[in-house]
Amino acid sequence: MNQLGADSAAERHSDLRCRRIQVAAESSRLADIRQFVESVGTEHGLDDNQIFDLKVAVSEACANAVEHSGVTKAPIELCAWFHPDKLVFEISDSGGFRLPRSEPGFQADSRGLGLPLMVALMDEVRIRKLPNAGTNVTLTLYLDR
Amino acid sequence: MNVCTTQLADLPMITIEGEVDHSATAELQAAVDAAMTGDTESVLLDLGECTYIDSGGISVILGTFRRVRENGWLGVVAPNSNVRRLFEIVGLTVDDKFRIFGDRAEAERSMGASAG
Repeated sequence: MNQLGADSAAERHSDLRCRRIQVAAESSRLADIRQFVESVGTEHGLDDNQIFDLKVAVSEACANAVEHSGVTKAPIELCAWFHPDKLVFEISDSGGFRLPRSEPGFQADSRGLGLPLMVALMDEVRIRKLPNAGTNVTLTLYLDR
Repeated sequence: MNVCTTQLADLPMITIEGEVDHSATAELQAAVDAAMTGDTESVLLDLGECTYIDSGGISVILGTFRRVRENGWLGVVAPNSNVRRLFEIVGLTVDDKFRIFGDRAEAERSMGASAG
């Protein structure tokens, strides 16, 4: 892809093309996030099943970010990195990663499905705590497997 | 998401259309609660027009399944292959009280067979 620049052989992170969006930490914005994922996946030539899996995994990461954004409603930042052999979505927020709390009306063990789904659908899931108390989740889908 | 409740044979059938994410969880839960009156033992979910679901919707479906499993069953009608795969991942499909039907006619035939 020419977007990688003239020196596309170099695989330094800074040479990679990425697309990013920032959305408010509200569950009503999850549809916008899925639209972004679909656009990125289509551009990268993924099939419908792969795009569905990415939508679910990215939504789960973002829903978790919404859940622990608390009253601050600090925005969520989403970056899609176009590697030659993989697609990496990076979701960053400014809250700490927490397992979803039980809410009235839900049985406790119906909750907390987000992380298992991410792990089941993606090839690699990493969760990092950021120095500023934020959380950074990277979801990787390897291509041509 | 659009959700509405009708009946198929003697069972409540909740038709769920569109995308079911975390912003739809409360509305879906309310629809399930309204559809399931005291003596409801089994329930159907028509997912033929459900294009997307994540843990926001699956948590409600799992909760509903646990509610009916003791005395009845939960039937899902026409889930697409991706939705069906999520049901497999969360372990619903290994339980014979969780039934998947290809379409409404198949669900109806199955109920007629089990009643007769």
